[in-house]
Amino acid sequence: MNKLERLLNLTAVLLDTPRPLTAEDLRQKVDGYPPAGAAFHRAFERDKDDLRVLGIPLRVERVPATDPPIDGYRIEADDYYLPDPGLDPDELAALHLASLTVRLDGLGEREALWKLGGMADGPEPGPERPQPDPASGAVTSIPTDPALEPLFQAIAERRVVRFDYADRQGGSARRTVEPWRLDFQRGRWYLTGWDRVREGERNFRLDRIVGTVEQTGEPATSTPPPSPGAQPRPAWEIGDEETVMARLLVDAARAETAARQLGPDVVTEPGRDGGTIFTVPVARHDAFRSFVLGLLDHAEILEPAAWRRDLVAWLEVVAGRRQLSDAASGGAGR
Amino acid sequence: MSRTTASDRMRRVLAVVPWIVANPGRRVSEVASRFGLKESELLDDLGVVYMVGLPPYSPDALVDVEIDDEGRVTIRLADFFSRPLRLTPGQGLALLASSDGLLSIPGTDPDGALARALAKLGSALGVDSENASDPIEVHLGAAEAAVLDQLRRAAGAGSEVEIDYYSYNRDAMTTRAVAPWRVFADAGHWYVHAWCHRAEGERIFRVDRIESLTDLDRPAAARPDDAEDTDGIFHPRDDDPRVTLELQPQAAWVIAAYPCEDVREGDDGVITATLVVTAQPWLERLLVRLGPEARIVASDGIDDPGGLAVDAAERILARYGPAGDRSP
Repeated sequence: MNKLERLLNLTAVLLDTPRPLTAEDLRQKVDGYPPAGAAFHRAFERDKDDLRVLGIPLRVERVPATDPPIDGYRIEADDYYLPDPGLDPDELAALHLASLTVRLDGLGEREALWKLGGMADGPEPGPERPQPDPASGAVTSIPTDPALEPLFQAIAERRVVRFDYADRQGGSARRTVEPWRLDFQRGRWYLTGWDRVREGERNFRLDRIVGTVEQTGEPATSTPPPSPGAQPRPAWEIGDEETVMARLLVDAARAETAARQLGPDVVTEPGRDGGTIFTVPVARHDAFRSFVLGLLDHAEILEPAAWRRDLVAWLEVVAGRRQLSDAASGGAGR
Repeated sequence: MSRTTASDRMRRVLAVVPWIVANPGRRVSEVASRFGLKESELLDDLGVVYMVGLPPYSPDALVDVEIDDEGRVTIRLADFFSRPLRLTPGQGLALLASSDGLLSIPGTDPDGALARALAKLGSALGVDSENASDPIEVHLGAAEAAVLDQLRRAAGAGSEVEIDYYSYNRDAMTTRAVAPWRVFADAGHWYVHAWCHRAEGERIFRVDRIESLTDLDRPAAARPDDAEDTDGIFHPRDDDPRVTLELQPQAAWVIAAYPCEDVREGDDGVITATLVVTAQPWLERLLVRLGPEARIVASDGIDDPGGLAVDAAERILARYGPAGDRSP
């Protein structure tokens, strides 16, 4: 007996049954199992694992009127079937093109397109079955992260998650978060959500989540704010610090370059000598300092005064005028 | 190629059978091509499917697969497999992310077939954007739509453009005629891989540092035969200068951001790495940004890198007024 045939029969029986079936029921109903005993148990356990890996939602329920209770199994149709998204052929073709152009490996995109009905009609490439344009190409490949799938599931189910999050000093802390949104920008995945302990909106870098994401099952109560829109946000806006408004003076020679990096939403006003003063929301002080220093002597932090002092202390260490320990005690801002 | 397991075939069957149930009478060749399968693979799968059914496995309880003389396939009596299996969270996420990524490319039609597909898929997955809060946002990089579009067009048509380019490494503006070959995104930025007439060599330019662009309306110089498609951004040469740094744990971003050689991490999290120096202004900026988080251990082909950093720090400090008077 072919294993594929047995798995298909098992799935058919589990979908068809209105009440949970015991392992013994299944052994009798499904063709291809060994006789009762250890060999059957091993085969059945392996089959259950296979179904779960395939994403088949196997329910385990107590069989009614059994004492001591016995586990029964079934598949609820509503859990199993894909709600028909009602895609038109050109929409399916567009999804196909998207998966070829912006690739994410290892998440089963090919199987996902099978489930939605394969490639649009026609064996030859054509308007219905587009190929990526060779010049513009398979434009990019996006890295994936083990935390993506559980976080996406929690967002879809509007549930609270818990995870250990590494800080920049080499430690880590347990965070409890209502996840809102996953952003890919600057080559990295970020989670935005409501931090229940810190009682505020926070951003987390997925590559700094330590270990696995725990699904608490608790419903989320916060309402996600509107997405920030089409423009990517700079690194200093995506942090887990409280947002501070910084004022930065940039010389005329670099004002345009800086404006492009700061994004279109920052407020500007004229500064001295034809320069521009930018008012910048900062949620990561160290990333902002790094950006400002990248502008060398073309830029100057005006406010907050503490950050101005911090930058001076930092530079005095580089210039060798002061020791590292002085800088640290001088308030490196962390 | 690894062996196809029963699970791999199960994935195929659970997707292909519902489609055949819903689209009876299509040719085996057409179905195979639609799902990217060999005809023999599809026929093997169908050979198993028609032995599947419910107890007591009498003919009326088995799936009925029929292939007529002209190779048209019909499946009946497969109610339990008449609709496809749900997408896993990973699969849903991958489709949404690819689509959102492609839509984020400046100049993509925001109301086209892909946008409609994304909206339908989002609601089928239960993550439709209430309050305009999208669950997935993919930004491939910032770029001006017009510049990106002209570069992609020039790459497609094989023509040349002139660009005003800000070189961050050298902290300088230049104007150059280039023949774009390929436009791509990597790690949050758009790049164009091109032949540069000024450098007489292939170069990779960051699209967001192109300050203006003019179409030269002339065919591109032939691409040299030995030019390879590059996926990396930077290829160091053996005789480029190098500097070896000791990096504190919080400066570990450096090894992800720049090509490094000989990276070693100590038990205390301190990393030692050798970096290739492309230009002095780049190094001076890196050292100022790293500040107390980095220490120069050695250098090769560059005189007194520490002195560069000190000079740069002093120049910036001068902006902040004399010591003791640091008010803006």
